[in-house]
Amino acid sequence: MSNDKDVPDVRRRKFLKGAGLAGAAAMAAPLNAVAQPRPAPANNPVPLPNKAAETAIPPALEVLTEGKSGSDFMVDCIKSLGFEYMAANPASSFRGLHESLVNYGGNKDPEFLTCSHEEISVAMGHGYYKIEGKPLCVFAHGTVGLHHATMALYNAWCDRVPVYVVIGNIMDVQMRRPGIEWNHSAQDPAAVVRDYTKWDDNPASLQHFAESSVRAYKIAMTPPTLPVLLVADGVLQEDPIPEGMVLRIPKLPQISVPQGESGAVAETARMLVNAENPVLIADHYARTPEAAKHLVALAEVLQCPVIDTSGRLNLPTRHPLNQSARARNHVSQADVIVGLEMSDFWGSLNSYRDQLHRTSRPIAKAGARTVSLGANDLYIKSNYQDFQRFADVDLAISGDAEATMPMLIEQVKRLADNGKKSAYEARGKKLAEAHAADVQRARVDATYGWDASPITTARLCMEVWAQIKDEDWSLASPTASVSYWPQRLWTMEKPYHFIGDGGGMGIGYCASASVGAALANRKHGRLTVALQNDGDLLMTIGVLWTAAHHKIPILSVMHNNRGYHQELMHVQRMANRHMRGLDRAHIGTTLREPYIDYAKIAQGMGVEAIGPITDPKDLAPALKRAIAIVKGGEPVLLDVVTQGR
Amino acid sequence: MTAARFWTAIVMALFLASAARAADAPNGDPMKGRALYTANGCAYCHGTAGQGGGGRTGGLRLAQMGIGYPAFLNQLRHPVNEMPPYVESALSDQDVAHIQAFVASLPPPPDVKSIPILNN
Repeated sequence: MSNDKDVPDVRRRKFLKGAGLAGAAAMAAPLNAVAQPRPAPANNPVPLPNKAAETAIPPALEVLTEGKSGSDFMVDCIKSLGFEYMAANPASSFRGLHESLVNYGGNKDPEFLTCSHEEISVAMGHGYYKIEGKPLCVFAHGTVGLHHATMALYNAWCDRVPVYVVIGNIMDVQMRRPGIEWNHSAQDPAAVVRDYTKWDDNPASLQHFAESSVRAYKIAMTPPTLPVLLVADGVLQEDPIPEGMVLRIPKLPQISVPQGESGAVAETARMLVNAENPVLIADHYARTPEAAKHLVALAEVLQCPVIDTSGRLNLPTRHPLNQSARARNHVSQADVIVGLEMSDFWGSLNSYRDQLHRTSRPIAKAGARTVSLGANDLYIKSNYQDFQRFADVDLAISGDAEATMPMLIEQVKRLADNGKKSAYEARGKKLAEAHAADVQRARVDATYGWDASPITTARLCMEVWAQIKDEDWSLASPTASVSYWPQRLWTMEKPYHFIGDGGGMGIGYCASASVGAALANRKHGRLTVALQNDGDLLMTIGVLWTAAHHKIPILSVMHNNRGYHQELMHVQRMANRHMRGLDRAHIGTTLREPYIDYAKIAQGMGVEAIGPITDPKDLAPALKRAIAIVKGGEPVLLDVVTQGR
Repeated sequence: MTAARFWTAIVMALFLASAARAADAPNGDPMKGRALYTANGCAYCHGTAGQGGGGRTGGLRLAQMGIGYPAFLNQLRHPVNEMPPYVESALSDQDVAHIQAFVASLPPPPDVKSIPILNN
């Protein structure tokens, strides 16, 4: 009947030789005291010493404390990898690691970031990486915590972002407390996320943990960069390190990034140089701050159009060869198209019509030569379909596009003789004129509905731009739902000016990823801005408290269209298709009756907040006030009621 | 072809194709059209001021585009590209005329030069 008999005490006790007897005696005393007759109440409320309990020799010494535990060593392993932060919602399955991190590890490098949901922890890591270029560590509860984390992990997977996840678990059935610890344990706890993590392991010893922790980091950071997961067994965490055990943490190697094969790169250079209308398309191309410089160099040698599909900021928005606004036109005229780290190359080469009969047709002309250059083919899994439709390319080069770019530039420069120079210059001049016309057209487009309420997304974006353009700013949110106005009219040139979208498009990304990005920007003194959708904020709204608690400065400007507008348009499409009218399209797609007061919610979480703002004339003064608060080191939320798109 | 040229071409084609039907157009009331524009979800993609969704994902700008009733009706009944179709049982020709009158009544925007933050 006794559970104690199930637990192999011998296994524990043989490691406990170093434990202090004084501590054991102190623990034993109260147990004995319980057996004593209760003394009569006295006038003096201070209890009398229990002489018997304090002087008698207990029948057996139960050693209940320890010195250095396995979790201390695990923290040593984690520290060796250079993490600045570890984000987590606290959980019993990693209680050993938690305590070791904050006490033994001094809560520094990494510092514990308190999160109210594991989706927040991982998404913060997602945004953090895209600014800092290195992963955030995340601890998560075995099973239930990891289930919470899944959406954000899938987003990171689709966005080629490494997040380093450590989860607790108890493998040995004898070591699980009855009830809840069984619910939170699994024989293969990483299985639930294995389809969208690059590598995982369930170490059986501390040395195994040391080697796998370094291996996981190396794998995560080798392109394609992707999330990884380690299981920290509860018994390994909590048992003392056996006396005399020699443990060694392997060194983290410098990681060499795989490049495209030189012959294929030379062939690509030949195609580009000899093309009449070459086009470069870049998606998740920019991995480091050097990437855009290389792409600019290649485009300027060729004087060819570059289409930035906004997976990252691949090319400055005001560069005259940035022709993203006329992507379809250039693809349709191109004779050579090179895709760089494309998540959906097919989608750039074809059009698709979402009507009753779904149809598609090629945009690229027949005979156009296509080249894909990227790391995606180096690692792929089959279940989730984020690899998109198969692109019909002539040459597929597997290798990191950014790392390959210097070789490609060199080859192009070598082949581009002076005879081609005048033709290239003429091409570049036309493109520059087209770019200038696109910007001017966008300015005029922005004037429509300028004074409207709800506020147009153009007005919202331009009011924000007016206030941040002279700062060292960083936009940490996607831009599709604000109709890409920042790309159309802001001057984005530094890599942190735009960090791309959420990858898997699972909502809940922006609120947390933008705070993670702001965390990384904090030490650089940058002003982080997020154009925050209402539905997305609701998914992970607890991140507001994390931003307030950890004093993460961010200007979160809401695009509050009071609904799930994309879905509203989808229901509209279905209602029209079925000829049923739109009387009920709002059901399930809007956030009305009552409207949500996001400013009040934010204030309740300790975040300064202004709004709801409905008059566009109120935007500028509110933004000025908000930026002053952010510069003081605090997060601010501006609730702005906006048009759908 | 740029997105702007693409949409302009669509509008022009619709305009020319349906010009012959212009004489049959019912009279439209902009005030009724405003209510119908809202009730029938036009603003979801085109905005409450007919400003369009902008960028790569939004609906065409309607304000100041000079789209006549025949072309307007034709696009609603037989939309080019991804716009959802509006059948007569859901939106009568008269209702379409009201909406078209509302769209035609949308005022021109302020001059871009008069907005300093659009000129930085």
